[in-house]
Amino acid sequence: MLSSIKARVIIFYVAILFIILPALGIFLYISLGKIIYNSVDSSLLSGAKALATLVSNENGETQFSFSDEIMWEYNSIKAKNFFQIRHFGGTTIEKSKSLRNLELPLPSDQNRISYQTIDLNGELARLVNFRFMDYGDDEHEKKDPVVRRNASGFIIQCAVNIDEQEALLKNYRLILSLSIFSIMMISAVGAFFIAKKSLSPIKEISDTIKGISESNLSERITPRNVPKELRGLAASFNQTFERLEKSFKRQKQFVADASHELRTPLSVILSQSEVMLRKERSAEEYKNALIAIKEATGMMSEIVGKLLAMARLSSDKLELKYENIDLIEIIRKGVKLLTPLADRKDISINISVSEHPIIHGDRAAILELFVNILDNAIKYNISKGKIDISIKKEESFIVTEIRDTGIGIDEKDLDQVFDRFFRVDKSRSKTTGGVGLGLSICEEIVKLHGGRIEIESAIGIGTTVCIYLKENGYIAVN
Amino acid sequence: MRILIVEDEKSLADIIKKGLEEEDYSVDVAYNGEDGLFMAQNEPSDIIILDIMLPIIDGMTILRRIRKAGVKTPVLMLTAKDGMADKVSGLDSGADDYLTKPFHFEELLARIRALLRRDSEVKTCVVQVGDLFIDMASHEVKRGGKEIALSAREYALLELLTIKRNKVLSRTYISEHIYDYDFNLDSNVIDVFINRIRNKIDRGYETKLIHTVRGTGYMLKG
Repeated sequence: MLSSIKARVIIFYVAILFIILPALGIFLYISLGKIIYNSVDSSLLSGAKALATLVSNENGETQFSFSDEIMWEYNSIKAKNFFQIRHFGGTTIEKSKSLRNLELPLPSDQNRISYQTIDLNGELARLVNFRFMDYGDDEHEKKDPVVRRNASGFIIQCAVNIDEQEALLKNYRLILSLSIFSIMMISAVGAFFIAKKSLSPIKEISDTIKGISESNLSERITPRNVPKELRGLAASFNQTFERLEKSFKRQKQFVADASHELRTPLSVILSQSEVMLRKERSAEEYKNALIAIKEATGMMSEIVGKLLAMARLSSDKLELKYENIDLIEIIRKGVKLLTPLADRKDISINISVSEHPIIHGDRAAILELFVNILDNAIKYNISKGKIDISIKKEESFIVTEIRDTGIGIDEKDLDQVFDRFFRVDKSRSKTTGGVGLGLSICEEIVKLHGGRIEIESAIGIGTTVCIYLKENGYIAVN
Repeated sequence: MRILIVEDEKSLADIIKKGLEEEDYSVDVAYNGEDGLFMAQNEPSDIIILDIMLPIIDGMTILRRIRKAGVKTPVLMLTAKDGMADKVSGLDSGADDYLTKPFHFEELLARIRALLRRDSEVKTCVVQVGDLFIDMASHEVKRGGKEIALSAREYALLELLTIKRNKVLSRTYISEHIYDYDFNLDSNVIDVFINRIRNKIDRGYETKLIHTVRGTGYMLKG
């Protein structure tokens, strides 16, 4: 559940609402309570103060000068206002009729004005305790310490029934809770839709990607339909598709070229066998046909072998075993392998080196590289020609130069010699052999070793191939 | 009927030549584009089978050059490429048909027969001239329900006369189209062959089908 962005958005959103909204509700409720109690309290206090002005102490006797207007709100049995006047210490002097036989509770601290909410015979009431000293009316006497000492103190307690206010607050609490609850529910549903809506571009991208297959790899995610935040993602996907498409195209081209190469030997096999099967033949005819078929098969297996070598190089790069190898040793081995071929055309191969450079590479691949190059140098050489192999250092590279005295390659073809299946001579005849993959394989090998291969040629003079491989030390020649 | 094969893969060219010769065609072979172009322009052929990828001069160039030079011989392209573009450009350059490698020999034969019928009045494989029936696929010849056995050369001559029926063919034309390049031309041989098929086809029948046009040549007419 939490792995879904939508669920997470909704949960976080709702969680925040569940914290903020109830907190707001509690705050509002407390604020309103305070406002209501403050107003009740201040009206109680002014009531108490008003009563205080009507209380006086004369000759040790407490006098009340309550008018009917004032008493009206206290003296009905049903009145919701109450008062009780006490001496310091607690003795009740007077109380309102509305109190009937009830007593307002004595405050714990009689020296200051205090407020409290009390239970008055099962009903809630708010009570103020007002301390009052009667110093008389005379301004001078009021300041006389003697007078002050003898002055009598009263506690005027005023209370009011607050059932109504409590009911109001209760109502308010209910309404507040209900509205907060509904807001939370509506918001949760809203969050669901918002999350869904804001995630819809992701779904669109995913649908586009889902719809892209091998057959329509050229399709892309249209950037202007994608929100800003997802453009990077869309661009990355598009780049990936670009690369995929390129690689698919290359692969397709390769397969097409390969099948094309196999068609000629296949048609030899098919024609030979079909013509042979049209009627009874002599043993000689069958033999000739079988020879032709065998040759065609040989050509096919050479093509297939080269194709596999190519595929192996481009796919299983990791299978190459890199080690330090003596370049001269490998070249000598390659020359040795091809000497019978060179002897047949009376070609001399000459290696001139003064040091033994070490390179880091795969022994088999490097051998294949030199065998391919030397094979070409022999194949396209003239009778009694020469092949010179020399090695020099250039920056961090070991450059092996293989120069032949062959037929050369036309300048217009030079750019294409590394292309797969490219042949300078368009003929597939067996006299010049070649399936057009040799140099592609060489280039692939050199690239895998972090080097490069260069070729220059002049018609009728010869071809020079330079192989650049990274240097990895030297062994001095003794 | 004389066919020129231009194909650089020697064993393929040779086996096609062998197969076609066994079908009573006379066949010339060129193993490269240069020879192919020369022979296409200078040797009389009824069909040219032309490979596209050739050394020295490629098939497409040969095709364009011979068409430019006015050679109207039907050309059957042999191609290792089966891309639509290659077929289209071949046909647009003047080829009459194409065959993708590898091909079945029977299909090659059928396409050759179709190309031979193309400019002829003959449009089907079995041709009727009077009461003479010639099946160009099986090489069966019948007159009045009776099968007539012909040698390869005799059949080749009859087929040529059939395809060009109602037209007078000179001795040179006939020898050029039933013999290949290696044959030493002697037009008297044609008279001998005409006599032989005459004996087999016309002898004993009221209506003569093979006519001699004095001073010009021969004609098959029903």
